[in-house]
Amino acid sequence: MTKKILVVDDSKTALMMEREILERRTTYQCVTASDGREAVEKAQQERPDLILMDVVMPHMNGFEACKMMRQHASTREIPIVLVTTRGEEAYMEAGFQSGCNDYITKPIDSAELIALLESYLGE
Amino acid sequence: MNRDKHKASGLTEADAMNDLRLSAARKRLAESRGQEDAIDGVREIVANLLGSEELGLFRVGQRSTTLPAFWSFGIDLEGYDLLRALGDAGLERVMRGECHVELAAGEHAGEMGRARAFVPIRVANQTIAILAILRLLPQKLDFDGADMELFKLLSDEAANALFGPGACDAGADSRPVTEGPGIRA
Repeated sequence: MTKKILVVDDSKTALMMEREILERRTTYQCVTASDGREAVEKAQQERPDLILMDVVMPHMNGFEACKMMRQHASTREIPIVLVTTRGEEAYMEAGFQSGCNDYITKPIDSAELIALLESYLGE
Repeated sequence: MNRDKHKASGLTEADAMNDLRLSAARKRLAESRGQEDAIDGVREIVANLLGSEELGLFRVGQRSTTLPAFWSFGIDLEGYDLLRALGDAGLERVMRGECHVELAAGEHAGEMGRARAFVPIRVANQTIAILAILRLLPQKLDFDGADMELFKLLSDEAANALFGPGACDAGADSRPVTEGPGIRA
C-alpha cells in the first residue's frame, strides 16, 4: 500500500521542492498544508504515515503543531520530522520536547531526505 | 521505482537535485502575483534553496550613481554601503551582468572569511537591481556550482516578477523595507 506523507510549509517554494522530490524520486503519496493549524486538521483527516513539517510558520508554528498532534489519539503515533533553518542543539532540543521524532535542516538535500524518510517508512 | 528514473537518464544524484531546485525556483517566480509575492518568492528561494536568511535588494537607478536599498530580510541595511562592499571591480562585474561571489574558503575567498554573493537582476541586457546574499546559515558552509546556476536563473528571470514588464524603464525606487529579525550588516 502506498505510504502517505503530509508536507507542511508556509513557503510555496519549499512545498514545491519537497513535493517534487517525493513525486519524482519516491513512490510516497504527498498531501500538503501551509501552516501548523491546517497541518493538525489534515493530519486528523488524512492519517498520513509521516509528517514533514517546517518550524517557523504563521498561525501555529511547527513546535506547537507537533505538541497538539501528540495530544490527539489519532495522530499521537505518526512520525514527525521537523524541517528547520536552524540546527543548533538548544533549538532542536525544543523540537524533541514538542514531540518530533527527527529533524532535517534547510537547504534540503534530496538524498538525505529520502534516506531519512525510508528509515521510517521503508522503500 | 521513480527514484531510479534519473539514473536511467544518465543524470547523477546531484544533477537531479539541481534540476529540481531550478525547476522549483523557476515555477515560484513565474507564478508570483504582484511585487510583494515576487519579493516573498525571492526570499523563499534564497532561504530554502540557497540557505541564507540575510539578504537585500538594491535598485540601480538609470541616472543615479547611488544604489538605494529597496528591500531587505533578516538584516538592517540602513547605512549599509553596497558600493564599498562590492568594490570597483565587483560593481563593474555586476553591472556587466556577472555574479560577484565571495567564497568562505578557497581561491575566491572573500576578505571577510564568509560567503557572500551579489547577483545582478537583469532585463534587456541591463542590470536594474542587485540581490545581495550576505550570510549563509551555519549548516551551509559555502556556495557551490549548483548555487551558481541558481544565481543565473535569478539574474535572468527575477526582474519581470519583481518589477514587471516595464522594469527597464522604471527609475530607482527607494522604498527600504526590513523584514525578519533586524541584524546590522
